[in-house]
Order: sequence, then structure tokens, then C-alpha cells
Amino acid sequence: MTEDRFSGVDLGRGLTLPNRVGLASGTAGYGFELEQLIDLNVLGALYTKGTTVHAREGNPPPRVAETGGGMLNSIGLQNPGVDVVATVYAPRWRGWAIPIIVNVAGGSVDDYVHCVTVLEPVVEVAGIELNISCPNIAQGLDFGRDPDAAARLVAAVRAVTERCLIVKLSPNVTDIAAVARAVEDAGADAVSAVNTYIGRKIHRATGRSVLPLGTGGLSGPAIQPLALAAVATVAEAVHIPVIGVGGIVDAASARDFLTVGACAVQVGTATFVNPETALQVLDGLRD
Amino acid sequence: MSGDLSRAALETGEVLVVERLGGGLLELVARLPHLAATATPGAFAQLRCGQSTTPLLRRPFSVAWTQGETCGFVFEAVGAGTRLLSELQPGDPLDVLGPLGHGFSVVDAGSVVCVSGGLGCAPFPLLINELRRRGVADILVLNGARTATRLYPAERFARPAVPVVAEATDDGTRGHHGPVTDLLHRALGSRPSALYACGPNAMVGAVMRTLLESGADLPATLEASLEAPMGCGFGTCLGCALPVLENGVSIWRLCCTDGPVMSMRDVDWDALAALPGADVA
Repeated sequence: MTEDRFSGVDLGRGLTLPNRVGLASGTAGYGFELEQLIDLNVLGALYTKGTTVHAREGNPPPRVAETGGGMLNSIGLQNPGVDVVATVYAPRWRGWAIPIIVNVAGGSVDDYVHCVTVLEPVVEVAGIELNISCPNIAQGLDFGRDPDAAARLVAAVRAVTERCLIVKLSPNVTDIAAVARAVEDAGADAVSAVNTYIGRKIHRATGRSVLPLGTGGLSGPAIQPLALAAVATVAEAVHIPVIGVGGIVDAASARDFLTVGACAVQVGTATFVNPETALQVLDGLRD
Repeated sequence: MSGDLSRAALETGEVLVVERLGGGLLELVARLPHLAATATPGAFAQLRCGQSTTPLLRRPFSVAWTQGETCGFVFEAVGAGTRLLSELQPGDPLDVLGPLGHGFSVVDAGSVVCVSGGLGCAPFPLLINELRRRGVADILVLNGARTATRLYPAERFARPAVPVVAEATDDGTRGHHGPVTDLLHRALGSRPSALYACGPNAMVGAVMRTLLESGADLPATLEASLEAPMGCGFGTCLGCALPVLENGVSIWRLCCTDGPVMSMRDVDWDALAALPGADVA
């Protein structure tokens, strides 16, 4: 890690992000839409949509619901499956300057190991972000809530990859520091914190939950103070780099995460509102 | 995997007027040179509502019409976002991302029927303008609404020459007393080459049901502009899923990039009808 915000961010295992500002998983797809709207190649990293062994169609709609200063989502990890990512998407990343970090999700240790094994020979993949914190699929949070289960998962994945391994932590836990320490001890190179908070919205005309599964993941500026507290806790608990994510809308809200110990940040939901947000954050941090 | 976003851009325009049409319908007119120059029929734009983080997400609106550097949007103040838009004053900035979405396949021959329900009028002026530019003269608009004051004025569907507009109201205060789909049977007699529909998803589904039950040959071009709760509008959040039949299997497609205009032959109407109603924040 460096204190110079003009230079790269060393996450270990040979992965140095060109700068501190990345695009958060689930808010940038695999880059092919945003590539048409902004200059992706000046950013520090693109963390892909959560990728699973098999293609997933995702949850029934409505999948999004707006709340005060935020939004709930229940996408259900819609993705084309790791084989398509490795063989169809990855060649399209060739020549991109932005490091592509593939976010991997699963329901079992074998799922994660399989995905990471498939991605291991793919040269366009700069790193792996393990999603142990998706609130919108069955078993999505199982690994994120239990330090021992998280450690077993990370150790198993560590055994099959030489790539930089980032673990994305869930805030929906009693002791996020314990999970962070467990994945550090098991071989994670870095952690990103935090994924969405479990939330619910009621359709006031019907009294039913707006999202068909009842709950979803809350993101957006509403969670920034919560995410900041979690990141501060994690940064005190571990020695590996911490990437801050949660409700960043501008350089000031990003700098808060650097202040509490993050070495880099991810811009998420704000990209939906303004695709140029991450670029503006990057410019603002340079001022 | 990803729609064509090559024309989409962020643009800060200037509000010229928010006109009250009656019955709660509003027409927002703004100077937006990029959008006006690039929007094609059926395209939509994501409008920022206010400067705050609540409401957070942009709201999608069909580009109703363009004229020079000016664009029009038709809407109703039903939630926090549209209320803020309804309060805009001339000279206020308007933050827009667009044009977005997959639009109508515009035919260049034959007769055309446009079926509008309520705010579903929104994409038709731009479509009709383009149809006429291509030489299509025989255009019939079937315009339905709950009550007379909520009917988009016939003369606004196209200027200067107003197309033939047949009206229907649920309460019988103007035109045919009943749903707009009642007007379809006569319209099909002209054997239209294209039928375009826009309105609440349930109304568009009723159009398709009526067409199928009529036994008439379906128009070769049969398209509807659909709606879904939307996050980003450009295909990354995957929020705006709509059910589409592919090889007989119902799958999700995105309203924002696969639509909002879809072939009515492809939509899984039963699955669409089963979805819960919109939540207006």
C-alpha cells in the first residue's frame, strides 16, 4: 500500500490497481454497457457481476425498489455462468487497461473452487473477489456469517489460485471483524467491505413486501455511515488491504473510507444514477 | 448481453415549460439538443428528479416528440420523483441520460394502427412523425383513458396534420364507452401492416388477447412499448426484468436494453399478467 494517491494500490500477488477507484460488483455488469458510456480504462478496477458455476436467470421481478436515499435489489445473481465469462467475455476484455476482477459466488465450496479453477488460466482476469455475502440467493450468506465456514472456503479457493484473492464481506453479521480475521488467516490477500444490507419495503397499498422474496439488499448513500463503521472495524482487525464500498456518491464520501483505513474504494449504486460518478470520484481524490 | 448505447449521453438541458394538459397529464418540454438529435421512436430517457439523493434513481420516460433542439415528455405526478418534475420552472436545469432502449421497427408502407392507453400515448408522436417522414399516410390512433380529461389531446399525436384518432373512455365521457380494445376489431379491417401498442402492461396484454381472439391475421409488425421498475436504464443493474418466451421457455429480458419496445409475439403475457403491480415510491 502506498500513501501516494497518484500511484497504484498494491493488493498483493502481483495485482496493483492503477488507482484507488473501482466499480463495485453488481453495478457494472461485465463492463460492456459502461464501456459505451464512459472511459473505463482510467479507473482502478472493475469488479464483475457475481458469477456462478451455471448460468442463473435471476429472481422474478420486481427486482428493484427505491427507498430513502437508497435502493433495494433482489436480482438473484443473474449471470451467464463462469464458462461464458471465461470463453466469451474475457476475450472482449483483451486490451482493456482497467483490471477486471471477477466476482465469484456459489452455494458450496465446490462451486467456488470450480469457478476459480475455470478462471485461473484466463489471462484477462486480474483477480478474484469472493462473494460470500449475497443476500438474495439461498445459501448466499452462509459462508459470510460463520468465520469458520468462511475460512474453510477461502483456504479451499486459495489452494487453486495464484491470483490476488479478495473476499467481499457481508455487513449482515454480528462480528464482521471475526469474519475478516478468519479470511485473512485462511489466505485472503485483501477484503472488500461491505456488501448490501438486508432490507425490506412494504407496498403500502397492499401491505405486501415489494420484492417477491420479501427482502433485498440495500445500497446507496443511505448505507454510507453504516458501511464506514464496518470498514473502520475491519481495517482495525486485519493487516491486509481493505477496499471500502457502500454508498459512495462523490470524492468526499469516498475519502471518508480512506480516512478510516481503506486503501481503495468501489463506487456502486451511484453509477446507476450517473455513470460518470466513479470518474468524478477519481478526479476529486486527485484534487 | 448489451444493447446499443452508442447514442446515449448525459446532458443537462433547460426546462422550457411544464404544461398541464388536464386530468393530471403533464407535458414537460425541455431544450435538450443531443437527445432531440438522436432519439428514435420508442427510445426513452432517464430523467434525474431533483438534486438530492432522495429520490435517488432517475425516472424513465419515453421521448414523446422532438422539434429542433427541444424534446417533450408526457407524465403524471404520481410519486416523489414525478412530483419534483411537475414543479420544474422554465429555466431550471434538467439532467438527462439518453437516448436509451430498443425502439420501434418503423414500417414504411401500408396502414398503421397505434393503440394508446393512458400515459401510453407518450411514444406515439415521435413514432407517427417518423412514419409520415417515411411516407406512411394511413395512420389510425386508438386512444383510451379512464375519463375524457385524461385523453392525450388528438392534435398532439402529430402536427401539423392531425392523424385519425378514435377515442375510448372507461366512463364514457368521450368517444366509445369502454376499453380501447373494443376499437380494435374495426381497425383490423384495414389489414394494417403494423400495430404498435403502449400503455399499462395489463392493457397491452389485453390488446394482444383481443388480436388473438379476433382470428384476424396478425400485422407483420406487432410491437409494444412495455414498462418495468427500472434501476439504471442501461443494462447493468438487471433490475427491469420482463418475461419473454424463447423457444417456448419463459426467460427474463431487460426492459431497458432488450426493450422497452418488444415484439408482442415474444412476450410471455401470462407471466407478465401475474407480476405484482408497480410500487410508486
